[in-house]
Amino acid sequence: METILLPDVGDFQEVEIVEMLVIEGDTVKVDDPLLTLETEKAAMDLPSPVAGTIETLFVDKGSKVSEGDKICKISVTALEKQPIKKQQKGHVKEKDTIQPSVEPEPLPEVQTEAPPKQQVVIQKSFAGIHASPSVRKLAREWGVDLTLIKGKGMQQRVLVEDVKDHVKSILSSEPTSQQVGLPAVPKVDHSSFGDIEMVPLSRIKKISGSRLQASWLNIPHVTQHDEVDINAIEQMRLEMKDEAKKQGIRLTLLSFVIKAVTQVLQEFPDFNASVSENQEDLVYKKYYNIGFAANTPQGLLVPVVKDADRKSVLTIAQELGELSAIAREGKIKLEEMQGGTFTVSSLGGFGGTGFTPIINAPEVAILGISKAKVKPVHIKGQFLPRLILPLSLSYDHRVADGVAGIQFTSLLKSLLEDPDTLMGKSESKND
Amino acid sequence: MTKITDASDEHTELVVIGSGPGGYTAAFRAADLGMKVTLIDRYANLGGVCLNVGCIPSKALLHVAKVIDDSKEAAVTGLYFNEPELDLEVMKNWKNKLISGLTRGLKSLADKRNVTVVQGSAYFISANSLKIESDKGESLLTFEQCIIAVGSEPETLPFLPDDPRIIDSTSALELTEIPNSILIVGGGIIGLEMATIYSALGSMVSIVELTDTLMPGTDPDLVKPLEKLLERKCDAIFKGFEVTTGLAKKEGIEITFKNSKSTHSGVYDVVLVSVGRVANGNLIDAKKAGIEVGKNGTIPVDYQMRTNVSNIFAIGDVVGEPMLAHKASHEAKVASEVAAGINTALDTHCIPSVAYTDPEVAWVGLTENNCLTDNISYEKGIFPWAASGRSLTINRSEGLTKLLFEPGTKRLLGGGIVGTNAGELIAEISLAIEMDCNVSDVALTVHPHPSLSETLTMAAEAYEGTITDLYLKK
Repeated sequence: METILLPDVGDFQEVEIVEMLVIEGDTVKVDDPLLTLETEKAAMDLPSPVAGTIETLFVDKGSKVSEGDKICKISVTALEKQPIKKQQKGHVKEKDTIQPSVEPEPLPEVQTEAPPKQQVVIQKSFAGIHASPSVRKLAREWGVDLTLIKGKGMQQRVLVEDVKDHVKSILSSEPTSQQVGLPAVPKVDHSSFGDIEMVPLSRIKKISGSRLQASWLNIPHVTQHDEVDINAIEQMRLEMKDEAKKQGIRLTLLSFVIKAVTQVLQEFPDFNASVSENQEDLVYKKYYNIGFAANTPQGLLVPVVKDADRKSVLTIAQELGELSAIAREGKIKLEEMQGGTFTVSSLGGFGGTGFTPIINAPEVAILGISKAKVKPVHIKGQFLPRLILPLSLSYDHRVADGVAGIQFTSLLKSLLEDPDTLMGKSESKND
Repeated sequence: MTKITDASDEHTELVVIGSGPGGYTAAFRAADLGMKVTLIDRYANLGGVCLNVGCIPSKALLHVAKVIDDSKEAAVTGLYFNEPELDLEVMKNWKNKLISGLTRGLKSLADKRNVTVVQGSAYFISANSLKIESDKGESLLTFEQCIIAVGSEPETLPFLPDDPRIIDSTSALELTEIPNSILIVGGGIIGLEMATIYSALGSMVSIVELTDTLMPGTDPDLVKPLEKLLERKCDAIFKGFEVTTGLAKKEGIEITFKNSKSTHSGVYDVVLVSVGRVANGNLIDAKKAGIEVGKNGTIPVDYQMRTNVSNIFAIGDVVGEPMLAHKASHEAKVASEVAAGINTALDTHCIPSVAYTDPEVAWVGLTENNCLTDNISYEKGIFPWAASGRSLTINRSEGLTKLLFEPGTKRLLGGGIVGTNAGELIAEISLAIEMDCNVSDVALTVHPHPSLSETLTMAAEAYEGTITDLYLKK
């Protein structure tokens, strides 16, 4: 028979029991919560230090208890005393997130005990590394990837000092893109809920996946939404379409958008810049290469239209068509996807009313286009059916603030709503 | 809240299934790291195959064989012994006493660490509970983490009849009788060790091996001296022959084997099948815990010896080749340390292999076969023991020490030894590989003279061209 006393719960006296989680006669396992306490700062569950049957309860809901007070008597079946103090600390939860059981939902019957501290486990072989077994063990313990270290010992042997220096240099460097501290996504054995099938991610998905994650983690994204009346530009597009077709060019709305974007970028060069590697400077680019997201059977690719500012809408349309075709065939060359300064992602052909595109880092902004729809617009005292194109501009908030974001989309909107200005300005430049 | 349904059921932090060199090492290390550990084995004696029916008894009998062989070979030195007399009962008792001493030692090591030892067969119910079946009935054990160390069993040839005269290595080591004739099916390490034992004890030994070489996979120059001696000791060695049928007859077991050109058949008092070992991953209801079991009963693990179920580890024979006790015990330490929260992983550069035949054959790291198969360039230094004073003083000259180096860096990639005590000598090469030694490191380390260990220095010197104990043409 064990009498359970209230352990040290921090500097609190007279803590209120807000919930009793067991009644007399209940059987409990080690760590099963007995009751919930609420202090000024946090709510916490008191776990059972032993397994057994609750014989007597000395407290009730609403009781106020202090360290050392008797909680209950347990007839012990499995002797496994846990250091109470250590256990209960792990159960402290902030007041506003108090839940009877906040712990992640365990798998049915599978209760995996995570290792006590966050560990960086290097799941790769150190075969072929010039390092003695003790150095390799140290590297494992510290989560150091030995393959990244150049040893300073004889014949580039990695010495204990090299491992230490490596760790020091990481600790002293800016906490930039270290993924080390990221909490892991909970592991789920999907097969325990039904049949599953494993299909490897495509090579392109793997590459773009890590770039998207890097962008998402490194760049504070803001997405600015706006709507553009494209009746006029659509009218112009229809007029030019057949002529373009004769030249074998499919004239799309995207070509006009890219044309307009280059003009806006010239007005707001911040959106055509990049943050320097050491994050000390802004790199302004004097060229306007516009990437566009192309959906291919292998995954997402971003071909680049070079010097789009110096090209006519027709030329842009032609290049869009050609680049998309070779991208879909999987024949696109690396240099045709390099050097972009701004990206446009058009989902207009598929639908949607708006989305938050992820910036194609190290660019600082990306324009998302959703499906144009006819909407009633209030013009001169009456509602008129107008074709409205939704735009979503994601930008790096370190580079541009909210006002700059609005200015960008507003200028873009006005250019697209006034095709004569758009075309006049540019076509005259070229012709 | 989860209720405990049966008050007699137990809970443990870490359960280790199997008490062989992997299992007991895992259990003891985990206990030393402060975990509450339960160690389950289906047999009453701890130690698993290695201690009870494998490495230890076979080495005891190999010692007996060596004494017999040495006594015969002593004649050239002018020392004559009478024909040895065997008292099988005494020999068996000596061997069994030795084993029981070791298993008792293990039990006391377990007790001192408060490791709970349970006898019974364990089957998973879920990823945190086991059913244990024993003579006393069935019980439930819930656990937080588990290390599977259930080992392997001898592979059988299903087409052979069920007959007590067809045996595996376990029965062969029981030494119930010394047959007049014995056929060993499978010329791997275990088969050849058995051939060494039974030929010394007086049986007419025949060996049949499926592939064209004895000890398949081992470099031919290391096997050759052994094969030469075995040819003298054995009745017949058939290489490249496949056993096709076996018939239980009154006068013995009739075995037929053939190759593309011919068919042989013979009648043997005893047939020992040593064609390999099968991992026991399919014997523990692993699927109920969600553990993936590969083909041949092996359980795949990551560098931390973790199975696909994160609180369950697997080590030793059950995770696959090489099925060696010292590999199991090394993996055991990794698994139990990871289970205890230490960040570590399996990091060995090499695991030595030893055949305790006469002469012994041992190798570690890359072999020439590995290099040729995987297209790895290498250079080698060889020292033949015929030039070793120490080897000649023990009346042996067939040995060979070979070291493989990486061209350019001259790092030691691997090594192989055939000869007396090769199993002991190989450890130095293991250390040299783990420490990443190059040829000069080995050549410049002063070795005692005269000794067999000296042959390592000599092989390194032969590669460097600094050797004086041989004359190598420039």
